[in-house]
Formats: sequence, C-alpha cells, structure tokens
Amino acid sequence: MILAAILTSLIFLASLWLIFSEKLNRTITAIAGAALIVSLGKLLGFYSESDALAAVDFNTLGLLLGMMILVALLEPTGFFQYLAVLAARASRGKPVRLLVLLGVVTTVLSMFLDNVTTVVLIAPVTILISEILGVNPTPFLVSEALLSNTGGVATLIGDPPNVLIASASGFSFNDFLTHSLPLVLVVWLVTLFLLRYLFRREMAVRPRNAKAVMKLNPAETLDDPKTARRVLIVLGGAILLFFLDHTLRISTSFVALGAAAVVLVWVRPDVKKILEHVEWSVLIFFAALFIMVGGLAAAGVLRAIVTVLEKAANIPPALFGVALIWVVAALSAVVDNVPITIALIPVIQGLGANGMDISPLWWALAFGAGFGGNGTIIGSTANIIVATLSEKTRTPITPKLWNKRGLPVMLVTCAVASILYAIAYPLF
Amino acid sequence: MKISDCMKRNVVSIPATLTIAEAASIFVTRKVGLLPIVDEQDKPIGILSLRDLLELELPDFVSFIADVDFVHDFGAVETTRPTLKELAQPVTSIMQPITTIPEDCGLLRAYAMMLQHNLLDLPVVSKTGKLVGIASRVDIGTAILSYWKSVETKKK
Repeated sequence: MILAAILTSLIFLASLWLIFSEKLNRTITAIAGAALIVSLGKLLGFYSESDALAAVDFNTLGLLLGMMILVALLEPTGFFQYLAVLAARASRGKPVRLLVLLGVVTTVLSMFLDNVTTVVLIAPVTILISEILGVNPTPFLVSEALLSNTGGVATLIGDPPNVLIASASGFSFNDFLTHSLPLVLVVWLVTLFLLRYLFRREMAVRPRNAKAVMKLNPAETLDDPKTARRVLIVLGGAILLFFLDHTLRISTSFVALGAAAVVLVWVRPDVKKILEHVEWSVLIFFAALFIMVGGLAAAGVLRAIVTVLEKAANIPPALFGVALIWVVAALSAVVDNVPITIALIPVIQGLGANGMDISPLWWALAFGAGFGGNGTIIGSTANIIVATLSEKTRTPITPKLWNKRGLPVMLVTCAVASILYAIAYPLF
Repeated sequence: MKISDCMKRNVVSIPATLTIAEAASIFVTRKVGLLPIVDEQDKPIGILSLRDLLELELPDFVSFIADVDFVHDFGAVETTRPTLKELAQPVTSIMQPITTIPEDCGLLRAYAMMLQHNLLDLPVVSKTGKLVGIASRVDIGTAILSYWKSVETKKK
C-alpha cells in the first residue's frame, strides 16, 4: 500500500509540475495522469474503472456544461459589448470612472457567468475604448482580470472552485450569498482602491479624445437583441432557482442544464456551432482531475495528509483556517486553482469525518483559491487571457508588470480576507 | 495566351536595404499598391504591400472586434502615427513571403493562384528566377474574358 501511495503521489505531483511549467497542455496532462493512476490502481489492486467513474463529480460537470451552453448562446448577441459601451459612455471618458465602471460590469458578469468568458468578451471592447480615448489599455485590462477573479468568489456559480466546494460541502447558493458575498464586497472595494493607487500615474493622464466615446451607440452593438433577451430571461430564471436550490431540493446542475434545455428549445440555434463554443477541454480536465484525486484517496495518500494535518490542528481553529487561506492562495498563484481545490476537498472531508468542524475550512479554501489567482500572470485563466490578448497590441502586459500590480493585490486581498475571516470566524 | 502576354513589364521593385519610411515615399510617388523586394541579382525575396505599411497605423482593436461598424469616430486613433523608430526599421522587418509564377504560366492557373493566395497582383519571374513583370487581377481577368468574344463570333 505504501508503494501505491508513493507512486500515485509521484504521478500527481509530476502532473502538477507539467501544468505549472506549461511543458504539456493541462488537459492532456490530466488525461494522461488519470490513465496512469487507473492503470497503477488496477495493477496493484487499489483502484478500478468503476471507482474512477464514481470519483467524478457529475454535479460540477453538469453545472459548468449548462452555464457554458447559456454563455455560448449569449456570446454572439453582442450583449457583452453593449454593457462595456454603456459603461464607457457613462464614464464620459474619465479614466478613473471608466476603471470603476468597467470593473463593476466585469465583476457583476463574472459573479454569474464564468470569468473566462466575461474577460474574453469585455477585454477587446476595453482595448477599443482605450484606443479611441487615447489612453493605455493596460490598467483597465489588469483591473478587469483582478476584479473578476475577486468578484467570482462571491457566488456559488462565480468560480469553478466554488462550484466544486459547494458540490462537496452541500453549501447552497444562499450560503455563498450570506458567507462569501459580504466578505467579497469588502475585499473588492479594497482591490478597487488599491488598483486606483497602483495605476495612479496612468489614471492621471488626460484622454486625448474623450468625445469619441460619447459617439459610440450601445444599441448598434447588439447584433441579435432577440436572442439576447431570451437568454437573459432564462438566465434570470435559473438564478432565481439557484436561490431556491435547497428549499426545492434541486441540484444546481439540474437547474443549469434545465435552463440550457429551455433556451435551446426557445432559440433553436445551430446546435453544432453552439456546442463548439462549449469548452470541452475544461470539462475533460475536471473529469480527469477527479479521477486522479480519486486514485490519491484510494491509495491512502489523502488519509496520510489528514493524519498529519490533525496533529497540526492543535493550534486555534481560526488560525488553522487563516493558514489554509494562505497556503491555498500561494499554491493557486503558481498552479491552476482547480487541481488544488479538487485535491484538498477529500482532505477537508477526511478532517470532517474525524470530527473536526470543517464548515469554516470550506470557506478558507474558497477564499484562498479565489484571491490567490491574482498573484501571478498565470494564476488564473482570466489573467492569462488578458495577457495573451495584450501581446497582440502595442502595449503588452508582461509577467514583470503583473508582479508589480497583481501581486500586491493578491497579498492585500488575502490579508483583508484573513482579518475578516478571523474576526467573523464563529459565523463561518 | 500566357501570363507574359498580359503582364506589365515595368515593375517597380526595391532593394532590401531600404527603410520603411523610404519604401513609403516610393508608394506615394509611384502610386503603386505593391512593391516586390529584390536582391542584387534582381531575384524577388519578399513583398511589401500598402496593407503591411497601413498595419502600422491601424488600431489594435480592429483585429479583436469582428464588426467595427458601431464605432463612428475612431477618436484618438485617427491621429496616431507610426513612431520614428518604427519608420527607421528596414523593409525586411515587415515584408511578407512572395508568391511568384513563371512567365510561361497559363492564365487560368495564374488566376486560381491569385484566388487561393488572396492576392491582387502576381509577380512574374523568368526561368532564371529574375523578376520580369507583374500582372494584376484586372490584367489576368480581362485577358481571360477577351477569349469569350471569339466564342461568340464562332457561334454566329
């Protein structure tokens, strides 16, 4: 059994290293890692195909798939462009106001839709607005990524780690609104003021042509208002049902997939095209990670970690939670926060099975995974996206720039979150 | 009919040693849309089009936003000019790979090449690889259409 534990841990750590060093695509790494662990499990008799299948959390996959279909339908309607142009007009071309308004739009969208889509769709319009104003787009792009990472922590559907945590812990949509949202609101405001300070030099520049922004007509940016309206109605209905998930005893994945079904019937799009927009590589990455972590559990690795952690848990529980926030944040800054979350879920469950009060630990995991992603240019997919997009412009965002602007944001947000968490510990 | 029968023989070409600014002034004075870049033996090594130069001024958002119709005023971008540093770069830094055809190439093949490579002009080279002419889409297209007249007369 020791051999099984050592070998599966090695496969898992090697996979994390491959993902971190970007030597191999993360989905390919996860598929290969899952195949290796199942082979090993069969060879040494600790993990079978049916165990692997049972390790996959289909509630998470269903929720993500449903939301991806809704977004795939909303994407080509121009709705995101519409919101960004509205924000630009409302800013009257004043940089600080534009930063706040674009930040609000990105945050609200990423609370209900996935961050990646939000940033993918808002960033190009941001570049447009900055260029016609005659200002550098970098502060706006970096802020959008950081604020969407931060805002996503507020809701159950805002961020993949939250979806995973909710599915494992049984937290409802409302639990996130009562526990995570208040803390995120404070952290978000701190982030905004911090960004205003970090980009004070860029914000002091007077735009060369503020009037051009006022000539943008939001109505013209909507390519397909009819579909946009329909998707938004169904999305609104889905969010309403999310609020009632525990009262009605419906799973969030059922709500999301049901909403996808309703909107597909209502809009009747070219389904092949819509399904092409679903990020299958992300879903497969998740499924493969579940299988890998299932193997880690079956090989006894996670039980060993739980035993070690329990010895360490003699410290005050609030301190243990704060330590978890920082460890998860540090890990999430350098590796994808999804594998970290998937690996830590069974560990926390193990601590719970041994009688520890784990409800505060779930929140610590959510905060660490969410805010940690702000730290480096590769910390979250949203960061990678704005950076890659900016590489094709005259003002590329470099890892060095991210370290100067993003890292302080990560440190301050984690510090603020830790203080609030420690003060309000009995409430978590 | 071969491509050599319809091409223009006085091609304006430039050496690889020119800067972008120098090439730009040749575009302006000679009113051309395309400048083949040739080596000392007059052999083409690359091509510079008006589009490659205008790319230096085009705002970044144009490549990200599929439909820019709603942007009625390009604002600050309208007065953006390439920097002196950009203009001092050699033409080889922005030149594109060149597609040429031999002078004995048939018209339909030439036209198909143009369509598939999305070109408006096709530089023509001799057997020894020297640049000898250039044919535009109009040159080749009208040369092909001129056959149709002979078809009609035969019918009558």
